[in-house]
Parts: sequence; structure tokens; C-alpha cells
Amino acid sequence: MGEIQEYKCPCCGGGIAFDSNVQKMKCPYCDTEFEMETLAGYDSELKNDRADDMKWESSAGKEWQDGETDGLRTYVCKSCGGEIVCDENAAALSCPYCGNPVVLMGQFKGALKPDYVIPFKLDKKAAKAALKRHYEGKRLLPKVFKEENHIDEVKGVYVPFWLFDAGADANIRYKATKVRAWSDSKYDYTETSFFAVTRGGNIAFEKVPVDGSTKMPDDFMESIEPFDFSEAVDFKTAYLAGYLADKYDVDAGQSVERANVRIRQSTEDAFGATVKGYTTVVREAGSIQLHNGKIKYALFPVWLLSTTWKGKNYLFAMNGQTGKMVGDLPLDKTAYAKWLFGLTGIISAAVFAASYLLWLL
Amino acid sequence: MKKRIFMVYFALVLLFFPVSPVFAAEDAPRLVDGADLLTDSEETALRDKLDEISERQQVDLVIVTTDSLEGKSPMEFADDFYDYNGYGFGDSYDGVLFLISMEERDWHISTTGFGITAITDAGREYISEKFLGDLSDGEYGAAFTAFAQLCDAFITQAREGEPYDVGNLPKEPFPLLMNLAIALIAGFLLSFIITSVMRGKLKSVHSQPMADSYIKRDSMHLTKQSDMFLYRHVNRSRKPEHDESSYSGGSVTHTSSSGRSHGGGGGKF
Repeated sequence: MGEIQEYKCPCCGGGIAFDSNVQKMKCPYCDTEFEMETLAGYDSELKNDRADDMKWESSAGKEWQDGETDGLRTYVCKSCGGEIVCDENAAALSCPYCGNPVVLMGQFKGALKPDYVIPFKLDKKAAKAALKRHYEGKRLLPKVFKEENHIDEVKGVYVPFWLFDAGADANIRYKATKVRAWSDSKYDYTETSFFAVTRGGNIAFEKVPVDGSTKMPDDFMESIEPFDFSEAVDFKTAYLAGYLADKYDVDAGQSVERANVRIRQSTEDAFGATVKGYTTVVREAGSIQLHNGKIKYALFPVWLLSTTWKGKNYLFAMNGQTGKMVGDLPLDKTAYAKWLFGLTGIISAAVFAASYLLWLL
Repeated sequence: MKKRIFMVYFALVLLFFPVSPVFAAEDAPRLVDGADLLTDSEETALRDKLDEISERQQVDLVIVTTDSLEGKSPMEFADDFYDYNGYGFGDSYDGVLFLISMEERDWHISTTGFGITAITDAGREYISEKFLGDLSDGEYGAAFTAFAQLCDAFITQAREGEPYDVGNLPKEPFPLLMNLAIALIAGFLLSFIITSVMRGKLKSVHSQPMADSYIKRDSMHLTKQSDMFLYRHVNRSRKPEHDESSYSGGSVTHTSSSGRSHGGGGGKF
């Protein structure tokens, strides 16, 4: 009599009391047959499952040197609450987000000093030209909106970003199937083979950015990504001259969640792509361990353009480094209806004519 | 004396009525409603129609309804009814007989002579599709009228050239409303997709769920890779029976008890 061990059936999850004297086992619940090694191997895979570990050590930002912030002033927008930083020479200002005037708060203080800054590469003219191009090729954009192209404000803003650096160890288990079909003179057969597929390894991420300002919508900033970090330089207050800077109001700890989501997704996709040759692949379990997770604080250049139309504020953002322009535009409902019904008429007529021609043949 | 008058009368009849090779058509009516499925007015109208088509086409169209097959199969009953009642034009007894038996709700079409040529197996299939609905609903008058009209058309087609057969069946009328509805739905769906794409161009702000651009180049290493076979399931299903009816057209014939050759076929309704 061999040793009795209980295993979990890979097919239905039921318990199989395994007798090592018998070389082949049948699950009492679903009648599926297994090799002995299969059950033992599958069991050890199950024991490998661990929880995610995505911890970061924050060393983001530095302390300011004495006197370094002397030339910086903080302004606050009474309308939207936006807090911006600029140098003392800046002229009368309005809020880059909502266009309302801002008031001087006083001498800049507090907050951390950024580790890096990517300087502006494109100027105001380039931003305006990009906006014009942004309007092109959009048939459902109201004509009036295009013609009354008055840009209320064009502001170059350094937006605070938390940058996440980490290596990720992943161990992911999939249940995959291969389907084979054949037939003889009387029957059609389909054979589904089930596999336990495991992929483990590591992957490294560099400078995954998360927007550190609540005034700046996250999806907006993610839309103008990526920034080319190779052009980043160590931060100096001199870079702020002529531009505005936003003060972070989401700290690194709060931004971690967003970075984790993106890193986890990319890691799973990268490892999932190595599972090939199967008909279906379903992720069953997996864990991601981060190591050497480091956070840095950087300012990235963004041109903000805002325009008001029919009492609504439309905000556009351009990557100040690559020139990528984003911003949702209003829909011309009349034009939309015209296109929808016009096209319906034309396509329906064509389909109907084609069906008649087919009938004639 | 009487006999002579009769002879003269007969001669006169012969003179005024062109001799037709067979008088059979006049021997028995072309509509025998043994099961009494039709009203009197329907009967008259249908009989007139059958007579008109039969005379014009020189092919007997006969419709028989009965309550009992007298122990015969529908095919035997139809063939015998046709043969022993003297139907059929010409040497080959051209004609088509349509039998309805209420005993077991059978219908059968028996073709003879030119009828075999005009109503092929595929043609009979086509015709039966047109009248079976009415037949099942008890609309016998409508079913018989449809049968007569279709036979008329089929015989005309066979006389003028190629009989209606496999690959050469009469064209269905253009499904106007159906196609119009499909065209409208397809047109709307397509336009909706196109305009949705146009709408989509107005939106350029999307969050990015991934961090693919920030993966360090060549930093991915697989250290563990196992593909373990667990178990297999085999499903077996019986193949659908293939319809072996890839026949090349024409009619399959058989010989009836009288020794004549008939085509035809039938079914239940």
C-alpha cells in the first residue's frame, strides 16, 4: 500500500485521493484521466502561486539649496484652485487650466526640488500650428468652431511627474488548450487538450511617468506620452524662466497605484505573448514582484491651449518635446445627422441595386 | 332505319369535329372530387380551367381526390386511376395526374408521356413547394389552381425548348420588401460605423493602460518556461447525413400494373 496524497483535479477542481501504487488516476467527479506525474507537477505549480509584491522606495525629489527658490513665486487661481510656480519676472498671469486671473501667494516655499527636467523644445508658434493641424480632417467638427479659432491662452507649463523605475519578476500560470479536429466516415471528432503553461522571468521598466498634479487630468497627460527621457537634464530654476510650473499636489505614494497598474498590464502582456501555439489561453494565476523600485521627480514640458466655445472650455495639450497634440473637440450634431442619414441612403441604394442585379443574373 | 339515321348522325359528328386520335379526355372528367374537398362553384371553375389547359396543351391535367386508396400505394392508385380511366393525349398518353388521398393525407403526382418530359423530378419538387402550404392548410381550391397554373407553365416551357429542371427552374419573383429592408439595415449599420469612426477622430484623449514604451530595451528574460500537458477531452459527433440527391435532372420512371411507363412522386401533407 502506497502513500495516500490528496490532489486537486486540474479539470474540475475536485479532490483526488492519489494512490501511488496505481500509475494512472481517474477523477471520481469528472472521469478525466491523468498521469501520475501530471498531477504531482500541477500540484507543485499551484504551490508556486504567490501574491503580488509591488513596493517602492521613494527617494524622489531633493531638498532645495538655500537661496535657490528666492526668484520663484507661487500664484493661486481663485477660480479653480490651481497653484502654479513661476519666476519673479513673469507678467500678469492667468490660470493655464481655466483662463481666470491668478493672484500672487508669495514667495515659493515647501515642496521638493525636482530631480530632472525636460526643457521645452517647441515654441508657442509650433503649438498654435499644431492646433490648426489638429482641426484638420475632422468632418464632424463644427465649422464655426474652426473659423472662430480664437485661442484664449497658450501657456507653456512644466507639469510635475513621478517617474517609476523598477525591475519586475513575474511568474504567471495559464491554462491553455489545443484543439484538433478530424473525422472518419461516420463521425466528426474534436479533441481538446489542456495544458498548464507557466512563464517566469524578469523585465525592467524605466521612468514610467505618472502625472503629479490634480489640475492636470491623468488621461490628458497619458495621451501626450511618451516623453523622451534621454533629453532630460538635472533641474535648475533657470529653466523655469518664461514658463509656468505646476506644483505637485499628488505625492509619490498616491501615484504608485497608477504606475503599478500600467507596469502589471505591460508585464502580463509581455509574458502572455510568449505563450504561443495554443487555441485558447486563459490566465489562471500569477504574481509580479518588483525590486529596486525607485521613484524620481521630474518636470515635463507641456503647451496648454484653451478656447471657450458656447460657454464650454476646451483644453488642448501638446507635448512640448515631441509636438504630439491632444484635446477632445465638439461634435457638430447637424453634420453628424446629415452624414449618418446621407450615407445610409447612398449605401442602402447601392446594396439594393446590387441585390437586384444579382437577382437578374 | 333507326340504325341508318344513327350512322348519318355519327358521320356528321365526325365531319364537324376534327378527329382527335384519342377521345379519352371525354371519357372521364378531369376533376374527380371523390373526397368532396371542394364546393360546387370551386369544382366548376377548376374543371373549366383543367379542360381549357388540357385542350390547349394537348396534355391531360387530372385532379383526383379520394377517401381511400383501396389498399394500394398512392403511386399505384394514381397510375392505375390514370391508365384505366383512359386519360392521356396521343400515342404516349400525355398527361399529369394529381392525387390527394385523405386516408393518410397523401399527395402524389403521376406523369405519363409528355408529362414525364415536362414535369421532371426537380420540377415536381418545385411545384409541390408552391402548393403544399395551401394543401396543409386545407385550402384545396387554391392548391389545385396553383398546381394547374404551374403545370401549364411547365408544359409551355417544355414545348418551347428546355423543360424546367435542375439548374433551370423558374425564377422566384424578386423579394422586393425583403431586400429593401435588408438594404436599409445594412446601409444604416455601415453608415453608423463610418460616422462613429468620424466621431472618434474628435476624441484624442485616452488613458494608456500599459507602460510598453517604458520597458527597458532587451530587459525581458524568460527564466522559467513550462508547458505541461494535463488531460484531453474527445468529443465525437455523428456526421450529418449527406443528401445524395446530386442527380443530373430528368425524371425517374417506373412501370405501372397496366404496363405503361410513369414518372412522378409524392408525399404527405
